[in-house]
Amino acid sequence: MRTRKIVIIALLVGLGLVLHLVENMLPLSFIIPGAKLGLANIANLLGLILFGFIAGLQILLLRIFLGSILAGTFMTINFYLSLSGGLLGYLVMSLFFYYFRNKFSLIGVSLGGAVFHNVGQIITAYIIISNQAIFYYLPYLVLLALPTGVGIGLIAIFTYNYLPRELKRIDV
Amino acid sequence: MDRIDKYLTFYDKILIIIIVAVTLILIAYPFIDAYLSENEDTDAFIYIKDSSKEVRRIPLSDTYQENPIFIEIDGPLGTSIIEAHNGQVRLKEAPESDPAKICEKTGWISRPGPSIICVPNKVSIWIERTNTELDAVSW
Repeated sequence: MRTRKIVIIALLVGLGLVLHLVENMLPLSFIIPGAKLGLANIANLLGLILFGFIAGLQILLLRIFLGSILAGTFMTINFYLSLSGGLLGYLVMSLFFYYFRNKFSLIGVSLGGAVFHNVGQIITAYIIISNQAIFYYLPYLVLLALPTGVGIGLIAIFTYNYLPRELKRIDV
Repeated sequence: MDRIDKYLTFYDKILIIIIVAVTLILIAYPFIDAYLSENEDTDAFIYIKDSSKEVRRIPLSDTYQENPIFIEIDGPLGTSIIEAHNGQVRLKEAPESDPAKICEKTGWISRPGPSIICVPNKVSIWIERTNTELDAVSW
């Protein structure tokens, strides 16, 4: 089981990496600069559901480090933005997942993650440029995080339903 | 729509409604605020900083008088004379020993944004409104 777990976590990291890079090619920033689909969050959301908090965190961190090295943004502002947003979003997702799972479906979990991803990014952006006007931008990002968060939640549910039964720890 | 409905729990829907409501209010708030304060007289001030980092603040509304206001600032090079009149401010006379006299050539300023800066004499002059209007936020 242990080898199997490592292999599947590695596959999820690979999945997240590809989604991370594909996402950068999509020109969603035309609508609202800085907005993203958050496709890569599918990987760590699945890791969280399948193997728990630690596995999801491993997938998230590996994906962000490797993804930024591959995209050439390591240790730049982009990297810090995605690291802070990813961590805060993931913490909120696991909070929702572990403590409110009888109330929220995966859509709610992913929505919470999407909203707090943006909150984390805006706080980091504020620390970098130290202009509090940046907070006026937060509602626009959060409003756009709503459809993407719901979409990511739906994708996670559909993907989970197609996974082999012996992987599933819980019902979604 | 009934397909998505199948996956959403009651609390999911509440969460979505809360997010939409809060973001719409936060988006609308700056516009409403700007609309309400449009009619109020915006208080603009002239700020003058000298070599001792002391900042003087003069209401722009005080400059609408028959005679211009003259302020003398002593710096390392000598005395700079600042003139404020009809909502505008300029550095009228830089000290003789100022090599470039850039601050003198800057001319009048009347709105937040441009500023008059004399590096050798360590004088800077700018205008600020109490409710600042943002030009742009870049990402």
